[in-house]
Amino acid sequence: MTTAPTAVPAGSSESFLDRHYFLLRRLHSLSGVVPIGVFLIPHLTTNSSIVWGSQLGHSPYGPGSGGVYTFQHEVDFIHSLPALVLIEVGLIWLPLLYHAAMGVVFARTGRTNVSAYRYGGNWRYALQRATGYIALVFIFLHLSSLRWGWTYGGWFPTFEVDAAASSTAEHFQAGRMGVAMAALYLVGVLSVVYHFANGLWTAAITWGLTVTRPAQERWGRVCAAIGVALAAMGVAAIWGFSTLNIEKAKIIEAQMQAGVKASEGLMTGDAVVPAE
Amino acid sequence: MVAPKSPAAGRRTLRLAIRRQESPGVKSRWERFEVEVEPGSNLISVLQGIAGRPTTAAGEKTTPVAFDCGCLEEVCGSCTMVVNGKVRQACSCLVDQFVEGDEITVEPMTKFPVVRDLCVDRSRLFDGLKRVKAWVPLDGTYHLGGGPKESPQDQETRYALATCMSCGCCLEACPQYKVEPDATTWAKEFVGAAVISQARLFNMHGTGQVLKGERLEVLSGRGGVNDCGNAQNCVQVCPKEIPLTESIAAVGRQATVQAVKRFFSGR
Repeated sequence: MTTAPTAVPAGSSESFLDRHYFLLRRLHSLSGVVPIGVFLIPHLTTNSSIVWGSQLGHSPYGPGSGGVYTFQHEVDFIHSLPALVLIEVGLIWLPLLYHAAMGVVFARTGRTNVSAYRYGGNWRYALQRATGYIALVFIFLHLSSLRWGWTYGGWFPTFEVDAAASSTAEHFQAGRMGVAMAALYLVGVLSVVYHFANGLWTAAITWGLTVTRPAQERWGRVCAAIGVALAAMGVAAIWGFSTLNIEKAKIIEAQMQAGVKASEGLMTGDAVVPAE
Repeated sequence: MVAPKSPAAGRRTLRLAIRRQESPGVKSRWERFEVEVEPGSNLISVLQGIAGRPTTAAGEKTTPVAFDCGCLEEVCGSCTMVVNGKVRQACSCLVDQFVEGDEITVEPMTKFPVVRDLCVDRSRLFDGLKRVKAWVPLDGTYHLGGGPKESPQDQETRYALATCMSCGCCLEACPQYKVEPDATTWAKEFVGAAVISQARLFNMHGTGQVLKGERLEVLSGRGGVNDCGNAQNCVQVCPKEIPLTESIAAVGRQATVQAVKRFFSGR
């Protein structure tokens, strides 16, 4: 057997992408699942706690306060994590940046043809790319406004850690802009969820976990169920913040902060300072 | 489009619009024809009829439409073309199944350079097969004896893959496969499902698997298995019903295993 010369003749310049293509491709696939996809799950469960939190009945601030209480409790927990910025940069922001940048590079290698070939899989392919672009814009707006505090000339309210639910709700209730914000979030969140659920399905093919057709179909049903569950939580969160009583939420949050200060972090309800 | 077979009432008139192109790289144009066809005619016999009497529907003399064909039984793949917007073989396209009065559009494949009319140059597909060494290396100066034993299960899987006729339907329907008239870009652009499936076929072969590492090396790089976008059109349009998406996933798995092994063994 002869060893054939390599495809690229010596001396020709191979780009960084050419030399590390396999690694860069698989890192793109992996980063979408871990950490970004894995982060999405607690992110949506936390945000939807504004709705399901009221069902727990564990809030010491009276009936109807469970959502605000649970959400604030979750936010306080996240912000109590040590080296939060390092966690955010290393496990969320850099992976997001990498996944987005490579995603755009790879998406540009294809050309959708659903008008000629109207198969379900072909629509999934086209949607995966469309939702990727939407997610890119949406996540940037979402991060820059709620996390980095960019107001875009006053169009986007900022997020207050100590008044988590009320300041988030102000996002969705500022008059006509609030309706637009809710619509933006609805499209954005559903795009992100679709992109993750379908990406989870295709990642299993990329890595060779699901080889046979029955295996791909089975895993497809699991991914669809994950997608439906996450979509339900995302919609619940948007609905919850859009309909939240902001004044009431502010009172509960003030009580919680006063309670935290009074008992130095204990939130048992015993140290509650009554609202003015 | 495809209606239940009309009663074989005899001859009927068929209207066709055919995309014509004089030579490589020049602009194409549509030409319309009206052809009388027998019951059970296929598209090849229609094109032969036009070649015998090259007159357009408007009654103008024209040149015969150039087309490729070989086996006339959907095993050689040479008459692959785009009929009514979808890729297929012309020989198995029974034209009297189309609704009477509808115009049938016939075009060359769009992912390969046109040579003339409906004839395309599929060199890139064969270049891809050469790049992944889609063969069993048997050349030598002495008799190698019998090959390794094959299990009936593997043989069954391989048989389906071996029916590929390199027609190019999977590439025509693939959103990740684009026309590359210049051979210098072939090595970096997606090789397509047919080539990946053939690599899997020969990776499974008892003797052919000695080249598995080299095949996976090529398919792990630019234009390899990672460029698949999982639209899965290939398996929908494959006339031989080859499980192409399973081949892509299987080669993806082989590439994963090879990469992990190399990472820990340092080659």
